[in-house]
Amino acid sequence: MSEELRVSPIETRGVAGKKRYAMVVDTRRCIGCMACQVACKAEYDTPLGVNRTWVPYKVVGKYPMVKKQFLPRLCNHCDDPPCVRNCPVEATYKVEDGGFVLQRYERCIGCRSCMAACPYNARFMLPSHRTYTPITNVVDKCTFCFHRVTQNLVPACVQTCIGRSRVFGDLNDPNSEVSYLVAKNATQVLRPEEGTKPHVFYIGADRNATEFGRDAYNKPEVMEQERSAFKAHFKI
Amino acid sequence: MGDYVWFHDVSWHAAYAIYFFVVGIVAGLSFLSYLSWHHEALVPIREKAAYVSVVLLGVGGVLLIGDLSQPLRFLNVLNPAYLNFSSPLAWGSLNILSFGAALVAYIWFMKQGDDKAKLLGMIAGLLAMGLPIYTGFDLTVHQSRPVWNTPVMPVLFVALAMASGSAVASLMAGGDAAAQKMLRQFMLWSAAAVGVILVSILGTTNYGGTAQELSFVIMTSGTMGLIFVGIGILAGTAAPIALMLAPVGRQPIGLMLSALLLLVGSAALRYALLMGPQQLQTLY
Repeated sequence: MSEELRVSPIETRGVAGKKRYAMVVDTRRCIGCMACQVACKAEYDTPLGVNRTWVPYKVVGKYPMVKKQFLPRLCNHCDDPPCVRNCPVEATYKVEDGGFVLQRYERCIGCRSCMAACPYNARFMLPSHRTYTPITNVVDKCTFCFHRVTQNLVPACVQTCIGRSRVFGDLNDPNSEVSYLVAKNATQVLRPEEGTKPHVFYIGADRNATEFGRDAYNKPEVMEQERSAFKAHFKI
Repeated sequence: MGDYVWFHDVSWHAAYAIYFFVVGIVAGLSFLSYLSWHHEALVPIREKAAYVSVVLLGVGGVLLIGDLSQPLRFLNVLNPAYLNFSSPLAWGSLNILSFGAALVAYIWFMKQGDDKAKLLGMIAGLLAMGLPIYTGFDLTVHQSRPVWNTPVMPVLFVALAMASGSAVASLMAGGDAAAQKMLRQFMLWSAAAVGVILVSILGTTNYGGTAQELSFVIMTSGTMGLIFVGIGILAGTAAPIALMLAPVGRQPIGLMLSALLLLVGSAALRYALLMGPQQLQTLY
C-alpha cells in the first residue's frame, strides 16, 4: 500500500508496526444462509429490529433464469471514519492499532450525529429495554469483534460463515489472506466516492447491489409499516 | 424488482426540525434587538424581542436535550475532556451557552439602563447569528447526504432565521408604522434570499448523481413534496414575497398575513430539509 495515498493522520494504511484489520467478502461464495447474522445476534444479544450485520438481497434476472444477489453488510471500519469526526463527545473513536472503530457506551449522549454521518447505515440506536444486556438508549454498531480479535480469534460472523465468504485479517501484513485476496482479485468497496476508505472489501459485488437502488421511485409500503411498528414497540 | 431492502430508521426526527425553527426565531429576534440600537424605527421591539428570545431559547434547549436518547448526558458536551472540536455539535453547544449568557446579561443591563447594554446587545446579536450557522453546518458536514452536503446550507439557515425572526418581530410590532416599514424590508429580502438559495440547491441536486437524483424525487413528490414545495416554497416563500410587493403588502393586514405565511413556510422548509434527505439513506 503506497503511503502517498494516506491523506489524513488518522489513517493506518501502511503504517509500520500497526495492524490494519479488514474483511473481504467474496459474494460469489455467499449462499445467503444468514448464519453470520445469527452468530452476531447471539454474540451480542442484538435486539429485535436492529443488526450489526445484515444480508440484503436482490432477485435479478427473468424467470426461469433468476437468482438472488446477496450483499452482506456491516460497519466498514473506515480508515477515515466520518462518525468519529462528527461525535461531539468522542464517544466514537478509532483504535490506532487495528483500525477498529468502537463506541464508548458510557459516554454516548444519543445525539445520533454518528448515525447521520455514516454512509453505510451501520449504526443504530439501541432500544430502551433489553432482556439480558443493560446497555440501552445509546448508539451501537459492529466492533469487528474486538474482544475476539484481541484474543486471536476471528469475528463471530467469519467463524460461522459456512461458504467461507467472509475472510478477516491484517491488511498491513503482506502475508495475510486478506492482503492476498485484495491483491489478486478485483475488489469493490461501498460508496468509494465518500472518501471514507472502508475496510470491508467485496469480491464479485454487482453495481446493482452496491449503489443506490431506484426504490425511491416506488418505496415498498411494507417499509413504512415496519418502521411504524418498530417505533411503536420501542417508544421512539 | 424483487429487492429485499433492509429496514433502517432516520437518524434525526421532527423534534430537531422544531428546534431549528425555534432557534432560528431566537437568532433573528436577538439580531433585530441589537439593530434597534442603530435604527430608531426598531426601538419599540428592542425589549420584547430580547424577552421572547430568552423564553424561546429555553424552549429550544428543552427540545434539544429532550431529543437526546440520554438527556442527562448533555453535560458531557460541557466537559472539556470529552469535547471533540471536529464536530459542529461541540461548537454549537459552546455557541448556545455563550449566547444564553450574553442574552441574559444584555437583558439585565438593558433593565438597569446601563450603557453596557449596547455592547452586550452586539455580542448577543453576533452570537445569535452563530446559531443558524452552526445548525447549517450540522447538516453540511454530512457529506454523504445529498441536499445537506451543500456549502450554502449555513447561509440558507441564516436567511431563514432572519425571515422567521423578522416575521415574529412584525407580529410583535403591532401598529408601529416605522417599525413595520423596516421589518417589511427584512422579511422581503430574507425571503428572497431563501428563495434564491433553494432554487440553487434544487437545481444542483437535480443535476447530480443517482443519490442526488433520487433525493430530488423524494423532496419534490408525495407528502414531502407537498411540505417542501407546496407549503415551504410556494405558500411560505413565494406567496409572502408576492403579497409584500403588492399594494396590500404595505398595509398592516397584508404584512401580518405575510409574516404568518413566512413562519409557516420556514417551519415547513426546516422540516423538509431535515427529514427529506434522510429518506433515501433508509433505503440503502
